[in-house]
Amino acid sequence: MTWEMLVGASVLAATLRLATPIALAALGGTMSERSGVVNIALEGSMLVGCFFGVVVADRSHNIWLALAAALLAGLLLAALHAYASITLRADQIVSGMALNILALGLTTYLDYEMYGTTGTPSDLVAVPDLHLTFLNGIPYVGTAIGDQNWIVWVGLLLVAALQVFLFRTVLGLRWRAVGEHPRAAETVGVNVRRMRYAAVLASGALAALGGAYLSLGVAHSFTDGMTGGRGFIGLAAMIFGRWTPVGALGASLIFGYGNALSTSLQGATVGGVRLPVQLLGTLPYILTILAVAGFVGRSRAPAADGLPYETEGHA
Amino acid sequence: MTQLQQPATTGPGTESPAPSVGQLTFQWAAGPAIPVLSVAIALVIGAVFVLLSGNDPVAAYSALVQGAFGTPYDITETLVSAIPLVLTGLAVAVAFRTGLFNIGAQGQLLVGALAAGWAGAQFATLPGFLLMPIVILLGITGGAFYGGIVGLLKALRGVNEVITTIMLNYTIVFVMHWLLQAGPMTAQNAFGTPASTPIGAGARLPVIIPNELVLFSRLHAGIFLAALAVVVFWFLLWRTPLGYQLRAVGLGARAAAQAGIDPALHMVLVMAIAGGFAGLGGMIEVSGVFGRVYDGFSSSYGFDAIAVALLGKNSPLGIVFAALLFGAFVHGGAYMQSHAGISSNLVAIIQAFVLFVIAAETLVRSLTRRRHGRKPVEAIA
Repeated sequence: MTWEMLVGASVLAATLRLATPIALAALGGTMSERSGVVNIALEGSMLVGCFFGVVVADRSHNIWLALAAALLAGLLLAALHAYASITLRADQIVSGMALNILALGLTTYLDYEMYGTTGTPSDLVAVPDLHLTFLNGIPYVGTAIGDQNWIVWVGLLLVAALQVFLFRTVLGLRWRAVGEHPRAAETVGVNVRRMRYAAVLASGALAALGGAYLSLGVAHSFTDGMTGGRGFIGLAAMIFGRWTPVGALGASLIFGYGNALSTSLQGATVGGVRLPVQLLGTLPYILTILAVAGFVGRSRAPAADGLPYETEGHA
Repeated sequence: MTQLQQPATTGPGTESPAPSVGQLTFQWAAGPAIPVLSVAIALVIGAVFVLLSGNDPVAAYSALVQGAFGTPYDITETLVSAIPLVLTGLAVAVAFRTGLFNIGAQGQLLVGALAAGWAGAQFATLPGFLLMPIVILLGITGGAFYGGIVGLLKALRGVNEVITTIMLNYTIVFVMHWLLQAGPMTAQNAFGTPASTPIGAGARLPVIIPNELVLFSRLHAGIFLAALAVVVFWFLLWRTPLGYQLRAVGLGARAAAQAGIDPALHMVLVMAIAGGFAGLGGMIEVSGVFGRVYDGFSSSYGFDAIAVALLGKNSPLGIVFAALLFGAFVHGGAYMQSHAGISSNLVAIIQAFVLFVIAAETLVRSLTRRRHGRKPVEAIA
């Protein structure tokens, strides 16, 4: 084991790369749960984003259309969740589980129907990397952040923007009020239902951007189930980050770092003993359980999170 | 104490308590309208997908049925697929009855499989009458331990079981990678898929259909364990004081506490029991089907279990029927793909809509029946 394996520039670059899809899903989760709707269908939104981004990239050869399709697909899946959980007041966990199964089944089904066993075409248009040439000469930094994908930077911008939005704007205050005490929010004239719809739709689009990053930014292809549970890690990052965008990013970076280490430490030994790198994968989940249990800091959900809301007098 | 509220889905209390087997059958027969309707709607939606992708839905569904029940061999294979679904379905249902949403049947099943696979290989030389009970016991204990963690965290720290179970499902996947790829359970000469050392002959559940009857049938004695588990589920919940207390907590934790039943204690107990059912399911897969633990084996039995429990209305016979239906989907889907050329993932789409309709339906019904009734499964945290 060497320092290079632990904190080398390429490890940091990988951390940022791996953290980005998690952070985007976590941002989606944060926006949704801050308004009081639990959305565990983030994984599904991500996956349909992956797939439909690739399909439209293949058909149109236009990356903007492909991105739009990815976001729209994630948004539509989220719309189903919003309809079930806000309008029908269905159980949000069951609805979310159903949509995750649907997303996996649908994308795998269509992948088989459209591309058979040969896989998606290899000449897909992709989201390019942003080459920061002025960093070229600078050691370390140049390698770490000089060639990241555009979506990485967009994701970082979104973190900052949504942090300001939620905690420094009037609309953000209302957004959070709906998640903490919807009745009080409604009393002062906030439309709870509309706010929650907006939140769930936004969460689907954010998660789908993470999906588009995976398929159009990194892999340049689609493989069945390629999100591999990143939507769920995103939920963990949201909780570990205490339901704030900046916290979610921090948590995602920690999880991404663990992920990067499990690659860079592959085969590494300490005193002749091979490191169980696979166990690093458990890090996000165990940290999150400890955080929720109050052993590592304190993590509290919005008060009305997961509770359907009914306008007074509707009954 | 909002966190003790029961889930609003087909949770506990949707039917009157303490029925006999006969009553249960009757109840399910009298009230399967919603499950049947949800399956019907899902099948119609599935047919639309088949049509849109330029295939013939009639051909698809007849291939599905043909694949699931066409030959005696297929029927036994459908049963093989249904067995773990029964066990994981029970794991979800028993928790539902106590007001908890156990998304963790998948992880509990894997821990049970790992524990059983370890014991089966470790004591491989023991004779069957000694080894089999050890393997069964370890499978159940492994799952119970993993489920018990969830109950403990809920009882002691108020942690929502939905979060814990999701996190633990993924945790065990990585622990399994380690154990089977480069850890203590990794077999010396496992080619291809990482796997554990094969279990001893005494730990194998025998195939119960002789070759003269159905050639190469894999239907194993695990079906008896599954049947026994269904009876235990029914007896425990409706014929023992503990079961009464569990259901009382499910019907209303605060009222139960008033009556001297400790909800926290019962949450720990029920999650351990739930884990035990799922762990037994994992053990059966190892002992009856694979003979060892493969990395990434049993990809989704624990998740299908949620649909099985909800579709079966958390009742013993309902779960059996739902597991058979989903078992038929699993086995028939493969045939449909190879013979009708339609991706077996159509089955996943159908399953998703079954679940979605059930989720939406219970609320539609509760809207019409009682408007200020129950709260939903509480927030994720």
